[in-house]
Amino acid sequence: MAPRYPGFDVLAKWSSADFDDPTREVVRRRVEEVPPLRFFTVEEAATLQAAADCIVPQEDRAAGERIPIVPWIDQKLARDERDGFRDERLPPQREMWCQALAGLDQAAEALHAAPFAKLGPSERDALVNRLAGGEMPGEIWATLPAKLFFKQLLQLVVRTYYAHPTAWSEVGYNGPSAIRGHVRIWAGGVDPWEAQEAGKPRHG
Amino acid sequence: MDDGCLGGMDAWPLCAPGLNGESVPMRDWSRDEVDVCVIGAGAAGGVVGAKLAEAGLSVVILEAGPHWSPVQDFTSDESDGRKLYWLDERITGGPDPIQLGENNSGRGVGGGTVHYSMIKMRLQPHDFQRRTIHGDLPDADMQDWPLSYEDLEPYYEEVEEALQIAGPTRYPWGRRRRRFPQREHRLNATAEVLVRGCSKLGIEVAPAPVATLSAPHGRRPPCVYRGFCNYGCSTNAKSSVLVTYIPRAIAAGAEVRADAMAARIEHDAAGRVTGVVHFCGGRTHLQRARLVVVACYAIETPRLLLNSHSARFTHGLANSSGLVGRCLMVHTGEQSFARYPERINQYKAPPGLALTEDFNREISGADFISGYTIECVGPHVGHYAAQMASNRRVWGARLRETMLDYNHVAAFGIVGDVLPQRTNRVELHASEVDGYGLPIPHVTFGYHENDRRMVRHATEVMRRIHAAAGGTDIWTSERTAHLMGACRMGTDPANSVVDRDGRAFDVPNLFICDGSVFPSAGAGNPSLTIQAVAARTADRIIEMARNGELTRALGRSGA
Repeated sequence: MAPRYPGFDVLAKWSSADFDDPTREVVRRRVEEVPPLRFFTVEEAATLQAAADCIVPQEDRAAGERIPIVPWIDQKLARDERDGFRDERLPPQREMWCQALAGLDQAAEALHAAPFAKLGPSERDALVNRLAGGEMPGEIWATLPAKLFFKQLLQLVVRTYYAHPTAWSEVGYNGPSAIRGHVRIWAGGVDPWEAQEAGKPRHG
Repeated sequence: MDDGCLGGMDAWPLCAPGLNGESVPMRDWSRDEVDVCVIGAGAAGGVVGAKLAEAGLSVVILEAGPHWSPVQDFTSDESDGRKLYWLDERITGGPDPIQLGENNSGRGVGGGTVHYSMIKMRLQPHDFQRRTIHGDLPDADMQDWPLSYEDLEPYYEEVEEALQIAGPTRYPWGRRRRRFPQREHRLNATAEVLVRGCSKLGIEVAPAPVATLSAPHGRRPPCVYRGFCNYGCSTNAKSSVLVTYIPRAIAAGAEVRADAMAARIEHDAAGRVTGVVHFCGGRTHLQRARLVVVACYAIETPRLLLNSHSARFTHGLANSSGLVGRCLMVHTGEQSFARYPERINQYKAPPGLALTEDFNREISGADFISGYTIECVGPHVGHYAAQMASNRRVWGARLRETMLDYNHVAAFGIVGDVLPQRTNRVELHASEVDGYGLPIPHVTFGYHENDRRMVRHATEVMRRIHAAAGGTDIWTSERTAHLMGACRMGTDPANSVVDRDGRAFDVPNLFICDGSVFPSAGAGNPSLTIQAVAARTADRIIEMARNGELTRALGRSGA
């Protein structure tokens, strides 16, 4: 994937008027204080990591450079932070996540005689597509609606990925915009401190 | 503010956060029986609280969430903005379960106005007479408002002035109206795209009236187009209730008691309410009050009334009609996205800077009766990515590739009028309770066939506008916006919960004042109407207090 915004780094603007102290603190914690595993077992975390890799692959980055996903989902569950609503067909979130991760293994065992995290990439992708389509083998999925779980998994993984400054820089999202705001808000307008697109004249 | 009040402020023992990080002295009414206890410091509660306090009544406003300090608590970060939502769990079901807890919720002083897109639309005259115009429809519970456009017009003007709404010099729809207090904002890229597309199709389009300053006002500066409006405005340009009515309420001697979760409303042997039991600082308090105003919005208001059931009111307070919790409405909120060759950068400036009300009326030849507004939207990257992934079913290697187009995407959304149905309702869950031990809401919702037809029409119109504007790769996301109804106002105690003044038919000193009193949803963002109705309810309470009507209702000889 060729970089669309080469050289753009939201964090390089740390001391600029795009950041204020409360924002710096929020972003600093996200980058520097990745929480340790407190809710999931090591096996559950491996299963979730494998599912997250199917949704947002990051194999183009070295292991230490990847945007952490599992630790933040783990923290949400450790703190039991809810979302304001729960579909009546689903159990409370902790139960749902534990059942669903066990269900991924159950389906993987049924189809390939191996846990989900040990499957090859194409087998994993196929299983995630079955999850999305609500066609999962295994008794857990007889009571846990696969499509509903998948929607939550997908949205949470995607939101977690795109909450990280590395992802902001990747898509040219300006990130924080404290104090300074924006001037060139019209179509085609690009402020000098915004991401400049590869192959386009500066400042649009 | 008169001198007596200023002199008194030195002795006010409490502190509230001010606009710029300072502390503001605030009264303590916790040991007194106050004139009025308002529950909820959001769009409506703030208006009522401020107006009653300014009229000289003693007022406590209870708020379940924190009292935000705009410059300290609001960040330029999408995920951090989740703290502004009501994230306690509600169980949702029915044919079309509603997502709650984000755009249709609020927690903390200012409520949802702290993160709203601040589009301030009036209802149109026909919106108040849906049953008169359309009659009874199968599976719908149409009801006229007990108020007319003319009744609300002065209150629309009052709130528009208080919030210094910035809007166009000529607004093309609805009745002839007074000019907006402030000049319209410059259009951002998405608004330019909407104008371009509509103009090619002969659809009327205009800058949206929005509650963010285009010129300085008092201590508040004009908008700098940060674009984090949905995550809290840290510059105070945005006219949320937090920075407008709440400071007025506090200066006039009201106490805004934050982190105070109402549990139940108490009443006496005669069936008049006497105060509000709430949890605050790990303890249970009773705030005694001569009058209670419930302003907790369309889920928590019916929940509180139902949770206040007693031997006298076995089915919940103010519920002799059985309608508390019923006729809950949403707005359909489908959004349409398209890719454009030029940079859009949809994260810049307020998200909804242009709109068209051309479809907010009866559409000739349509197979449905409702209207809708089309508005610009501007989701930030995380919200956009989650919507895109689940609606377009994009994940895996394609996800990051597709997301590279984020800065070239412009989006519109609808605010579509949904018909009221008794089966769409808020109940108490049979077994689940929250952290305070209070039964949580169970919300059931399903669209009427009329609603679905309207969504199909609107989706096609948005697609045509994108195509006319030069957009490609067009896709739609399903969603809802706003909540209305669940304690509707009317003229007949048998089929409504409150009268035109917001006063409960069953309880003479209980008022309901928020979006839950709407008998029909309308096809525009509801906050201005919520606040106009609140301003009117406040005036009626002041009038009743002055002419002795409330004292008589309380069975007391004098105040």
